[in-house]
Amino acid sequence: MTFLNAALVAGTAALSIPIIIHLFHKSRFKVVKWGAMHLLEMVIRTNQRRIRMEQWILLAIRCAIPALLAFAMARPIWQGSSRLLGDARASTVVLLDNSYSMDAARAGAANFAIAKDNVQQLIAGMQSKSEVHVILMGQGGHGLLDAPTYDLSRITQVLGKTSAGYGAARVPQALDFAAGALETMHEPVRQLVMITDFQRVSFDPVEDKLITTALDRIGKQAIPASVTFWDVGQDVKENIAIESLDFSKLMVGVGQKIQIRANLRNFGAANHQDLRVTLKVDGKDKGASQVALGPNSKAQVLFTQSFETAGSHVVEISTEPDALAADNSILASIPVRDRIPVLLVDGAPGETPDDIKSETGYLQIALSPFMAGKVEQADLLQTRVIPAEGLTQKALSESQLVVLANIRRLGDDQLKALEDFVRTGGGLLIFPGDKTDTAWWNSAFSKLAPLPLGGIAGDLKEGAPSMGITSQRFDNPALELFNDPRNGTMNEAALKVWFRMRPPEKTGGALDPVVLARLDSGDPFLAEKPFGEGRVIACATAADADWSNLPARPFFLPLTQRLCVYLASNVYPPRNLDIGQQLISFLPTDAAGKKALLTGPDGIPVEVPVVKKETRGVVEYGPVFNPGLYTLVPPGGTALHYVFNADRRESDLARLTEQEINDLAKSHNVPIVRSLEEYKQLEHRNRYGTELWKWFLWALLAFCFLELILQRFFTRRRTKLPVKPLSASDLVSKS
Amino acid sequence: MSHVSDFLAPADLQRISNLQVLARQVVEGFTTGLHRSPHKGFSVEFKQHRQYVPGDEIRRIDWRVFGRSDRYYIREYEEETNLRSTLIVDRSGSMAYGGGVPGKVSKFDYATRLAACLSYLMLQQSDGVGLVTFDTKIRRYIPVRSRVSHLRVILDELDQSKPGEDTELGRVFHDLVPMLHRRGLLVIISDCFGEVANFLKALAHFRHARHEIIVFQIWDRDELDFPFKGWTQFECLEKAGLKHMIDPVMLRQAYMENLERFRNELTLGCRRHKVDLVPFCTDEPYSNALAAYLSRRLAR
Repeated sequence: MTFLNAALVAGTAALSIPIIIHLFHKSRFKVVKWGAMHLLEMVIRTNQRRIRMEQWILLAIRCAIPALLAFAMARPIWQGSSRLLGDARASTVVLLDNSYSMDAARAGAANFAIAKDNVQQLIAGMQSKSEVHVILMGQGGHGLLDAPTYDLSRITQVLGKTSAGYGAARVPQALDFAAGALETMHEPVRQLVMITDFQRVSFDPVEDKLITTALDRIGKQAIPASVTFWDVGQDVKENIAIESLDFSKLMVGVGQKIQIRANLRNFGAANHQDLRVTLKVDGKDKGASQVALGPNSKAQVLFTQSFETAGSHVVEISTEPDALAADNSILASIPVRDRIPVLLVDGAPGETPDDIKSETGYLQIALSPFMAGKVEQADLLQTRVIPAEGLTQKALSESQLVVLANIRRLGDDQLKALEDFVRTGGGLLIFPGDKTDTAWWNSAFSKLAPLPLGGIAGDLKEGAPSMGITSQRFDNPALELFNDPRNGTMNEAALKVWFRMRPPEKTGGALDPVVLARLDSGDPFLAEKPFGEGRVIACATAADADWSNLPARPFFLPLTQRLCVYLASNVYPPRNLDIGQQLISFLPTDAAGKKALLTGPDGIPVEVPVVKKETRGVVEYGPVFNPGLYTLVPPGGTALHYVFNADRRESDLARLTEQEINDLAKSHNVPIVRSLEEYKQLEHRNRYGTELWKWFLWALLAFCFLELILQRFFTRRRTKLPVKPLSASDLVSKS
Repeated sequence: MSHVSDFLAPADLQRISNLQVLARQVVEGFTTGLHRSPHKGFSVEFKQHRQYVPGDEIRRIDWRVFGRSDRYYIREYEEETNLRSTLIVDRSGSMAYGGGVPGKVSKFDYATRLAACLSYLMLQQSDGVGLVTFDTKIRRYIPVRSRVSHLRVILDELDQSKPGEDTELGRVFHDLVPMLHRRGLLVIISDCFGEVANFLKALAHFRHARHEIIVFQIWDRDELDFPFKGWTQFECLEKAGLKHMIDPVMLRQAYMENLERFRNELTLGCRRHKVDLVPFCTDEPYSNALAAYLSRRLAR
């Protein structure tokens, strides 16, 4: 505790005044020669202890009164255990929640607008030469500017152009990011203000320890920052969100139909009987549907769409506007291909290229069913069958995917060319067979092969037991189709003979092979391995019907189609990304060294360099935090669309209750404020302490009042005369 | 017709140093205002007739004269009283209290003046009067005489008495009983401080000896109101060395309660023994005491 008028603290010596007065009065006593001593003595004997106690109490109160007055006039300041900051310059980190829940509006005012306005006023009220860093909490935190700045007007200007909708707020990561930023700042006073709507999903109790860890990190810094939580949330209950889109195909060809399924969710208590959902393709209305969406329930809307032209297309599905606009629509970029050239390398060719009995006969039909059926519909995969000798660099350069079916072995040149092909993003699907040279596979081919081959398992004899494929949940995009039984199941498979692929040796690296599916025996059925920028998938059995009934089962077509599209799609980096990911685009080699033009949701085009990597030009941009549509125009090329979608868990606008917020702040020993005024008061207290003179003044008044009451109480009924005064009337009555 | 003493407070009368003068002033002033001839009519020896005037007692009309003359005459007799009054005056230390204020009458001064007035009045009525002064023991005993010259003896004794010793009311009164051979009226002038039980026992002893008793209890106003403020050292007037330093404001309530209890005990005890207890304050006129006495006298 300190005092603004420290000299007046000496005034507390005034507490001796009542003592002096007491002693003075006691020393200047009167002497009364008293007759009725027998009346007085009994009173003194029975009341002495009580009276002494009462006198001590009164004396203590009377001593406290001048002492309290002196304290109040000295203007004491309570600073707690911390030192007062005074007018010292501060480095302030404003941790601003820009997740899209902050866009939720009530009575026309969005949380983010309110928060932004408060931050601007906060910055405007700072001393000159204050250092500020505004960190946006969406997707784990990133600086509004690249580094802390002393240019307050600039940061205010940039803040004014910022909008919310940056995915989900990840509080622990954002605090950790802020802790890192604080370490780089310079001023002797450090402050951290976290401004958020305290959305329930952002404050998962499971993550509470992470918050504690981040705050501990701040607290243990050389100059620990004072942390403040600022609640700017408003209770908005009703919200409908389009949570996600599912596509029936990984890749779409021209003229092919694709089913687009939109998943909707109602987070409110309102019942929507006829909720209108619309589909736009490249900005043009293509369809609409109505769906019933009950309180706190989910619904799906299915659209079927085909594309007449190859290239990049943008699909947007939206619903009726509500309090939170950010999740009322969802975008997706769909690259439409003309054809995907697939090279089928047949190790046991038939008499004709399309001989069904050849090793690749069933594969050819499964990958290009319309072509095989002579139907005038487009196949996305354009297959070409070649013998093993035909696998040349030229043939590879004309393909995006190679399927090796029962190849005994490849020549060294062929192998090198194939490695180069995969390394640069090509896909490779391998079906072993009776001709496969296991020794070659496990040695020269081991670089590409996901897993080494063991011996052959099973028996082709009539009546010998067959092996099925284990039912499981698949994480790989090529197989996740089979997570829904309506799309077919691999349980129908019966493998007579298969290769035992040895289990992968895990190193913990990203290049470790992964088993995608297993047989009931536990042996791997499908194994994947990344190689360079491409991927390799190996199957445990043959592609034809010699060893299994796979080609005869309905799931064979979608399985092989999706495996091929999945492997081929690696040539094309993903177009639909999450906030925080990097935009990557592969361009022709001749574009390298030039600039591509990228236009984001804000409509401001920026030039991005095209860098040569391996055999192609590459554009890398980001990480991107602003959700929406990004259009990349390569030099001399046509536009490519990339969509960054925010995490939709923020659509649940339920906030922590006020009590929970208070408890959270209390558990982390962090003060909570709810307005700019409260924050200013808090900062004033931090800087200059809490003035206590009002409390002392109240105490003074209370003591004065108490003294009066006690004085009256101790000398109660002073004015009452129990003894009737004597007068002549007494005599009359006696007469 | 009023007299100067009716308008003078005891403090003013203090200027009159001679007790006889004071007693005469008071008594004559007092009796002048009363009905005429109050002190006649208690004797048996005929003196004269006088005409009846309204206010005279009917029983005193001489019906024989009325029968002869058809007029109302009252028979008057030569006074010859058989009332024997003994004034018992307390001269203990507590009676010396006068508040320490210059010019203020102490309880003892008041008591002696009152005793003087009563003596004067009694002798004027041809009643016999005696005097006893006491503190821890009987200091002086003057037997009852009805001669007018006896007043001088009593007044001299009162004049010379000084308060100062402790009080032993009970023991003194018990000692006094055998000295009072004939029954009569005992007028006790005291503050009655001390053990109430002992005092009442002594009164009972008197009553047993068939004495009529009237107690003039003398109070100082300070003793009734306890008006002291600020730290005060109370020093006992009876026991040397007994003193208490207190803040009287803090104790006033308890003192008043104790006083009330003391007075109640005394009043109830006196009532029980058919003793008239007449409390007096030193700021009251002496005439009140005389009225009380005459009231008691007429009741005989």
